Amino acid sequence: MNKVFAIAKKELTAYFKSPIAYIVLILTISVFNVFFYMIIDQNREASLRDVFKVMEFMFVFLIPLLTMKIFSEEKLTGTIEFLMTSPITNTAIVLGKYLGSLIFFTLIIIMTVTYYFIIEYFGQPDRASILTGFLGIWLEGSFFLAIGILTSSWTRNQIIAAISSYAILFLLYFSISFTNSLSGPMEAVIRYAGTWSHLGNFTVGLITIADVVYYLSGIIFCLILTRFGIENRLWR
Amino acid sequence: MILAQNVTKYFGRFQALKDVSFEIKKGEIVGFLGRNGAGKTTLMRILTSYLPASSGKVVIGGDDVEKNSLAIRKKIGYLPETPPLYSNMTVSDYLKFAAEIKDVPARGRRNRINEVLEECNIGEVRDKTIGVLSRGYKQRVGIAQAIINKPELLILDEPTSGLDPIQNLQIRKLIKSLEYERTVILSTHILSEIEQIAHRVLIIRSGQIIVDKSLDMLLKDYSDDQCAESTLEEVFVKLHSETSEENNE
Repeated sequence: MNKVFAIAKKELTAYFKSPIAYIVLILTISVFNVFFYMIIDQNREASLRDVFKVMEFMFVFLIPLLTMKIFSEEKLTGTIEFLMTSPITNTAIVLGKYLGSLIFFTLIIIMTVTYYFIIEYFGQPDRASILTGFLGIWLEGSFFLAIGILTSSWTRNQIIAAISSYAILFLLYFSISFTNSLSGPMEAVIRYAGTWSHLGNFTVGLITIADVVYYLSGIIFCLILTRFGIENRLWR
Repeated sequence: MILAQNVTKYFGRFQALKDVSFEIKKGEIVGFLGRNGAGKTTLMRILTSYLPASSGKVVIGGDDVEKNSLAIRKKIGYLPETPPLYSNMTVSDYLKFAAEIKDVPARGRRNRINEVLEECNIGEVRDKTIGVLSRGYKQRVGIAQAIINKPELLILDEPTSGLDPIQNLQIRKLIKSLEYERTVILSTHILSEIEQIAHRVLIIRSGQIIVDKSLDMLLKDYSDDQCAESTLEEVFVKLHSETSEENNE
């Protein structure tokens, strides 16, 4: 477990030593602030429901920027050879890298908690739905991170890793659009596979097992694929 | 210490290693020699468990490389051809990270880092970011990470590449100081270096071992009739020119 933390610490340090981390942080918070102001000004209600929707949309674009280098850079510079010949399991490597990116992402979420205090100051928000909303957006971001790490393990090229992430995230995010032309079980499958309805439940204060299972199974599935992906790369 | 039996490696249809077999005893310093693309790096990667062999078997200290790769990784220190360094880390942070994931006990970690900094003569750059270091320093940081956990087996792929003559001498001394204590495998293109430190040489050509002899024996075998002893370089060139002639015929 100590080795997982050692890798996570290295990842986290790498984020803060790279300009990308600061660009993503500043960009994310600035854009969120603008949208928060616009939504509150327009809706005139003490709710963060629409703010969460905007955050979700932004994370589709921002998270691949955070994850694209996680494995691809190690492959490009050859440091993967150092990790893979050290006495550390491939599972620990994947978990450490995921944990590092998750901590960084959690920092972004923590910075948006100020929105709650602002609306609490000016109105009487439904605290439970805000809390579940934050949990939902955190789970969704965690799922996106796992997808980003998976695509980063496929290639040594960061751009290809990011584009692959975008392709998967766009499919998941916009899948709701396909349901208009579908019906029956196919529609139900596509609706469940997409992220839209799951976060929607969280933002109105609903925590359902189906939604939690969706995010957790998605994260575990991606991390297992990553773990076997780096193994397969070796055992070719 | 190491037993390799009929190791073969294919990359697609290309056969990089053909039925390679050898044995290395504990405490030996063995040089892998061969031209670029001969299969030295592939063989080293198989020994470290980084790459699997297509067929054959490698056992290191009683553990099968394929079946028990984690146990193997605990025993080895490995310097790949390109030093595996994180350019945004400082030298001491990198070595601390290497020590953490290579099971160096937390209590003696700081001392061990200081020891390798001194042994590899990189103490003066310990707080510098690796990305700004010269190639010679980077190479020595790479060696430092390989020896940090006092491995039983040290595998060095061109350890003196990019070093100046003084640094070269220091690294040779460092490797020589491990003699009889640890097993060392190294590959290099500088044949005089092998002559000075190795006990034995394995010459690899087109994925096959064509010579596996003690250095003394090899030089003796290829000495001319006037009893003037050949240098390793002369032997190496002779062996490869013999092959070219055979191929031409």
